[in-house]
Amino acid sequence: MRLTRRDFLVGSTALAAGASVSAPFLLPKYHTDHRPRRSRVAILNAEKYSQELDQILAAGLRLFPIDVQGKTVVLKPNLVDYAPGDAINTHPLLVLAAAESFRRMGAKSVVVAEGPGHQRDTQLVLSQSGYQESLRDEKIRFVDLNRDELTRTPLRASYMGMRNLWLPRTVLEADFLVSMPKIKTHHWAGVTLSMKNMFGVVPGARYGWPKNILHWKGIQESILDICGTVPVHFVIADGIVAMEGNGPLNGTPRPFGKIVLADDPVAADATCARLMGLEPYRIVHIREGSRFLGNAAPSFIDQVGETVTAPAEPFQVVPEFRLLHEWTIGVPQVCRTLRSRAS
Amino acid sequence: MTTDQVVLSGLLAELILRQLPCGGWAALASSSQPALEPTCFAAFALCSFPGVALERAQQFLLHTQRPNGSWPAFAGDESDGAWVTSLAVIALHDVVPAIPARLQGVHWLMSCAGKESNWFWKWKFRTADRHVRFDPDKFGWPWFPDTVSWVVPTAFALLALNELPCACDGLEQVPFRIERGVEMLLDRVCPGGGWNAGNGVVYGVPVAPHPDDTAIALLALREYRWDSMVQSSVQYLERIAPTLTAPWSVAWAILALAAYGRPIDSIYGSLVGIPDLSSADDTSTLALVCLALDHQRALSALGVTS
Repeated sequence: MRLTRRDFLVGSTALAAGASVSAPFLLPKYHTDHRPRRSRVAILNAEKYSQELDQILAAGLRLFPIDVQGKTVVLKPNLVDYAPGDAINTHPLLVLAAAESFRRMGAKSVVVAEGPGHQRDTQLVLSQSGYQESLRDEKIRFVDLNRDELTRTPLRASYMGMRNLWLPRTVLEADFLVSMPKIKTHHWAGVTLSMKNMFGVVPGARYGWPKNILHWKGIQESILDICGTVPVHFVIADGIVAMEGNGPLNGTPRPFGKIVLADDPVAADATCARLMGLEPYRIVHIREGSRFLGNAAPSFIDQVGETVTAPAEPFQVVPEFRLLHEWTIGVPQVCRTLRSRAS
Repeated sequence: MTTDQVVLSGLLAELILRQLPCGGWAALASSSQPALEPTCFAAFALCSFPGVALERAQQFLLHTQRPNGSWPAFAGDESDGAWVTSLAVIALHDVVPAIPARLQGVHWLMSCAGKESNWFWKWKFRTADRHVRFDPDKFGWPWFPDTVSWVVPTAFALLALNELPCACDGLEQVPFRIERGVEMLLDRVCPGGGWNAGNGVVYGVPVAPHPDDTAIALLALREYRWDSMVQSSVQYLERIAPTLTAPWSVAWAILALAAYGRPIDSIYGSLVGIPDLSSADDTSTLALVCLALDHQRALSALGVTS
């Protein structure tokens, strides 16, 4: 069969059109691979919020080769709204313990920073949730990220199709950013852990209360773009009392007795999900994050402290996320792997 | 001078001190990035004290208006902020040279609507996405275009549109939008009264109202004070106000309760008694407290009659 010049042109055009249509789906949506060769996660037992958290956390942090000497440390808790008796926010005692530990480790300054997503009156959330008094007593500065000075920042991942985000100066200038989530299920994202917690750095004064544009661009996509752009250096996850069901605001408190520390947010979130009895690879931002942000596979995670054991009763989720209870690989197998690493 | 007058004059002096060379105010005392919301609240607060600071604020507002008539959230931003456009329109109310700018702002507000006003999203919220209980026929304004309606931007837009002397010259749709906006607020009210940021019920669970969102919605619904949901929202605010300690929420509660002719002496006293008000980092809070301490004039600046 003879290939005419016309055939060649038609074929080339078709090939070019096909490539241009499929390229956006095939090309990676992240600019840089941030994954460390190995990640480290520590699970600490803590049954209640008490002054003992100071010692528990200090001991946990010693399991990591952290150097914050002379650095500006920003602690980013999950502070959304307040309802008496509910496990919505990262507990202030854990944040105080973290601040104290980093100060002892030689940090130049320790700042607590958050931009609540629902409640415009940040001071009201701070006072009702017990933060205001605690931070004042310990002379720890709080920065309202909803109203901080902003810098237009090019995104280093392109899952949601935005090129830039206006982000707060305090976060961009941090030498050491610590995500301190509350371990919770989430009715739109599946879970809200260290990666979803970074939603709070997006300023309400520029994106509204809640940051509705991010919901429309896709929650999972937004999480990936934010975490791809603002590196989380360390995670301290509050699971002493966690939340299950219709989180992040209206779920049920669940006494869980765990604090999870990690030097990699993806490893932290994957481990938290396993502890919750949820399959991390079924959570889009953890699965996709494991391609460029960190490690979700147990074989790349050095487990220290307590071992990963899935709970007898997995965390309840809203019906749309029932799939999280189905494991792609058996939970006992994952736990065995992690247990052997821990030992 | 009474104690509250002493406090008020101290706060106004602090507010003027924080004005940036460009005439605007930054959101935080520690920042130098001029933002629209604190500038508008500061302009409301200074309304009763005309002078150079107020004129510079008004000039700043005129200079930051975008070519399409909207205002951005802060100088240098390329976005259209619906709530700050409403605030700027109100802040320029009595400024004669600003009439064209105000009209442009109102026209932009008329072109901006919550995403649920579009037939496709209406259909989606009616059929596929029913976790959040609301009627998509009742829409208001979003914080920013391309998102759904929320309580605060809708309430601010209603306050801005209510100030218009007539619905003429291409603004014939104003009464229609006001009606839809009012319906939207009444549709999203929390089951026991009061408003959260958006809907009152999510995943079948009633959400708790926020004092500031409730107060702002009540200011916009002053003309509907006989509605049972409005009345229960006023009652919620009366119940919650004495427990509040954060000046932003207390100040909004004073304004709303004063607008409904409810007693405010006690919460007014507690606001005056909050120590170090002038050291509040948040400039909008500082301006709001000034407004609450001078609530009669503030309500008239917001176009609300008590």
